[in-house]
Parts: sequence; C-alpha cells; structure tokens
Amino acid sequence: MSDVPLNPGDAVRSPPRPRTRRDAQFDRIRDREAARQGTKLRGGRFLSKFLNNRLAVVGLVIFASIILLSLAAPLIAQHDPKSPNLRAMLDPPSAEHWFGTDRTGRDIFARVLYGGRVSILVGLGSALLSALIGVVIGVYSGYVGGWLDWVAMRISEIFMSFPQIILVLLLVAILGQSLLNLIVIFTLTGWGGIYRMARARMLSIREEEYVQALRSFGLGPARIAYKHMLPNALGPIMVNITLSTAAFILQEAGLSFLGLGVPMSVPTWGNILNAAQDLRLLENAWWVWLPVGATISLFVLSVNFIGDGLRDATDPSQQG
Amino acid sequence: MLTYIARRLLTLIPMAIAISFLIYLGLDLTPGDAVSHMIPPDVIGTMDPERLDELRESLGLGKPFLVRYWIWITGVLQGDFGYSLAGGVQISKIFLDRLPATLELSCAALVISTILGSILGTISALTRGTFADQALTVVGMLGVSIPEFFFGLVAILVFALNLGWLPVGGRTLPGYDSFWDRLPHLIMPALVLSIMMTAGVMRYARSSMLDALSRDFIRTARSKGMPEWRVNLLHGFRVALTPVIVLIGFRLPVLIGGSVIIEQVFQWPGIGKEFLSAVRSQDYPLVMMVALFSVMAVLLASLIVDILTALIDPRVRLGD
Repeated sequence: MSDVPLNPGDAVRSPPRPRTRRDAQFDRIRDREAARQGTKLRGGRFLSKFLNNRLAVVGLVIFASIILLSLAAPLIAQHDPKSPNLRAMLDPPSAEHWFGTDRTGRDIFARVLYGGRVSILVGLGSALLSALIGVVIGVYSGYVGGWLDWVAMRISEIFMSFPQIILVLLLVAILGQSLLNLIVIFTLTGWGGIYRMARARMLSIREEEYVQALRSFGLGPARIAYKHMLPNALGPIMVNITLSTAAFILQEAGLSFLGLGVPMSVPTWGNILNAAQDLRLLENAWWVWLPVGATISLFVLSVNFIGDGLRDATDPSQQG
Repeated sequence: MLTYIARRLLTLIPMAIAISFLIYLGLDLTPGDAVSHMIPPDVIGTMDPERLDELRESLGLGKPFLVRYWIWITGVLQGDFGYSLAGGVQISKIFLDRLPATLELSCAALVISTILGSILGTISALTRGTFADQALTVVGMLGVSIPEFFFGLVAILVFALNLGWLPVGGRTLPGYDSFWDRLPHLIMPALVLSIMMTAGVMRYARSSMLDALSRDFIRTARSKGMPEWRVNLLHGFRVALTPVIVLIGFRLPVLIGGSVIIEQVFQWPGIGKEFLSAVRSQDYPLVMMVALFSVMAVLLASLIVDILTALIDPRVRLGD
C-alpha cells in the first residue's frame, strides 16, 4: 500500500507517525475491499449486461478475430508482404494469391494481414497513449484544481480549436512522415478530449460523501483521486478509448490514402488503399481495394459496436 | 445578454492571440527564411554573405521576434497573408480563388446532412424498438465506420465509371459555368461528405427526440385529444430540433476540415486540396495560414453557437 506515487500534496504524510485508531479502521476497510475483490460481483453484472448486447458480442468476435489474424500473419500468409513478383502483376484472386496481387505483384492477402498489425498498432496505441495522458492529468487536476488544472485546460482548448485533420496535417508537415511521428501526432491531438471528459467526471463526483469521508481520514489527494475516484469514472473512459481507437484507425487510413501517413514502404491498410487513387485500378482491379476497404470498415464497425455495448453496460442513464 | 457576449469575447480573444502566436512561432521555426526563398538556390551560394545579411536587415528579418510577430499580425488583420512559396502567389489571392468552392461543397453537405439526419433520427425515435429503428441504428453505425474516401471511391466506380451518370470529379468544365452545368459535379462529393455527419445528426436527433417525447407537455397535448402526428411534429420535433441545430453549428468547422480528403478524392478545386499540396511541398506559409484561418472559423462558430444557446436557454447566460 506504500507504493503510491508521491506528489506535493502527500508531503504531509511522509514523516512516520504512531498508529492511531484511524489506521485500524482503515485496515478493516482495506481487508473488506480485498475480500470483495475476489467475488467479482461488479464485474459479473457488467459482463452479463455486455454479453446480452448482441451487436457488442458480434463486434467483440470480429475485433478479436481480425487482431488474431494479424498477429498470426507470419503463420497464415504464404508470401512476403513487401517482395514484388514481376511475373504476377495485378493477378486476380486465385488459390495461390487469395486476394490477388497488386501493381508490383505483391500478395494482397499478406499485405492486408501485415498491414493490420501496423494500422491497429497506430489506432490502439495512440488511443491508449492519449487516454493515459488525458486520464493522468484530468483525474488529478479535476479533483485538485489549481494552476495545473488551469494550464491543462487552456492547452487542451488550444489543441481542440483546430479541426483535427488540419492540425494532424500541420504537424505532419513540420515533423515529417514516420510511424512513430504519426503515433505522437495522434496522441498530441487526441488527449484533449479524454482529458476533458475525465476532468468533468471528477468534478461531478468530487463532492460525493465517500470522497469527503476519505478526505477526513487524511488521505492524500493523489490517492483519493487515482485509487478511489478513478474507478468510478472508468466506464466513460473505456467508451472513449474504443471510440478514439476507431477514429484514429480511420484517420490513419485517410492520411495513408493521401500518401501523408505512414511511409509507403510499410504496408498499412491505408497504404494498400492508396493504389485505388488510380482510376484504371479502381475500375479493373477490384481486388486491390475492395478487400482491404472492407477490412477497415469491418474493424472500425466492430470497435464502434464494442464502444456502444460498453456504454450501455456502464452508463445507467443510457438504459432503455 | 450583452454582458454574456462580452464575457465570451473576453475569453475568446486571448485564445485567438495565443493561437496566432503559436502559428507564427511554428512559421518562424520551419527551415528557411524569406531571403532563401526569394533567391534561386544556385545564385544564393555565389552571393556575398554580407549582402545577404543586408537584404535580411532591409526586410526586417533581423528585428526581435516579438516585433516581427507584431508586424505579421497587423498585416494579417489588414488582409496581408504573405506569399505562398510555390510561385510566390499572394495567399489572399489563393483564398479568394479557392474558398468559394470549399464553401459551396461544405454548405451543400451541411444542408443535406441536417435535413436527412433529423428526418431519419425522428423516424428512428418514433418507431423506437422496432425493426426500422434497429435497421437505422445499424445503418448509422455503418455510416461512421466506413472511411469517407472509400465511400467516395465506390461512388466514383458505380456512378461515374460504370453507369456514367455523373462526372468523375472536378467542379466545372471549361465553358460550362452555369449553375445547372455545375450541379452534376457537386452531387457526388456533397453526398459522400455528408454521410458521416448525417449519421452523427441522426443519432443525436434520435436521443433528443426521445427525450422530448417523454416530457410533460407531450402528455398534455395527447390528453387534449390532439392527433398523434401533430403531437410528434409540432411539439416533439420542434423541441428536439434546438439541440440538433447547436450540434450542427459545432460541426461546421469540422466539416470544413473533413472536406480535405473528399476534395482530393473528387479533385474538387477547394482550399482543402490546396492545403494538401502545400503540406506535400512543405509550403509552410500557406499551411500555416490555412491552419490559422480554420482555427478562427472554429472560434467564430463556437461564439455564434454560444450566443444562440444563450438566446434559447436563459440558464446558460445567467449561470457561472
């Protein structure tokens, strides 16, 4: 219990002090909490509600299978996604090439699988990173307020006054194109939304009685905010993470389609679709763009279904 | 009301100044300066460095950063946006040339999505829980999950290449400038651009309508013996529409940002296409000016939305 991150507010607690009755009371609460953790009461209700939502379950199955297929790409794909084969240019789908080949004879099935790894990494990675930043700042500053809250709020306002794609492209122009830069840019442009949501949630539960009780026990602000209040804000945060994953995957696809996302040498879903800008390919070689377009859409759809299911399962006000 | 507007302006103006400052800072930090862009690279190497310094001095490039910012921002306010690096065209001239096309496209998309979205959302709310409602919900989900440019590609393939009903892209053919000649060019991009927003408006209109239908005045109207369609349309729809209009006000700048990709797909000669080629060729002055312009549009739209909400709902302007 002593490995809580230290911060200015905790400074009062640092000198060792004699045990009091309050500590004994705390121990009992802690024991009860620990005992409760095993029973999974809360988790059970949440899970059954989530599983009752047919679309959410379908979404979860699609989501999991696309991720598994991408992870298992080296086992499934028969061809290298990057090596061209000049004797098999623009071949239609066959037993040899399930999704056909592209302009330089690269196997599209392999490219979709390997491309999924990068696209999902960008989408999920940026969503998780921006959630981490947004939640760490938002939860603390929403509870404590003060200058940190003021500064973070102003910065997020500045970021959020840009139309997202304009800001992303602006940063691409300045920082240059690379996989890492793209994740950094998405994180920079995406943390504001989740920060504001976490902060607003904290503001609304700040005055609840259990928080006042904890404060009167003498707990430090960091421990109250992260350990006791954060779990009550977790539902909307999870919904937000899924929705921003969907948004980032769409954005990566759009940017790469324009040739401004991940460098063209790396296969991603958007980079594969880039070939469809050529009207002749669009008209005569459907296998170049249709399977990968369907994969993106299916994946984003599944993420959105999961997000909706999570919202219904965690937010009591949205029932009905 | 006036004090409310004044208060909003007082928070907006520092924002605008801060963002213009950041954008100028970004412009200043990007490689190269005016002199290196004015003189061809093969000449600049042979020139006397002292002569170059003199030139920089005469252009005011030696002045302190804040002084240069002041000269720049006062110039911008008077309509002097600087010069594009590509061909040295005045940026204000590019804006005048390209802005009408972008406005035409986004306004068309805005009108389509507002009408379609609120009608579909209302139908969905009135038939709540039935097959029609569920089908509309899934269609709406598809609308936000399929990448816009993918819709665009499929539309081009079907309606332009296969059926030949509509032109592949562009805004006009030389010599055919009347509205009716231009209309076929507008249909596809406007519809595709409006898809995502229609889905958003539909979702919002549905929950807003459901909310309105559960209010007391609806029950009163029914108990008076008013026909069901009148209750729904005159009382429910009208009340439900107000928040939807606010949502649309917020989306307007997002729409301008979102048109970047669609303009590229359909070769629509607007600001978005110009912005993309500026990002590609690292034409920083143009990139920064488009960014500045879009931020100002966002701030202006948020101010208008705030004023409208305050007009509709007195609680907003009296609160905080």
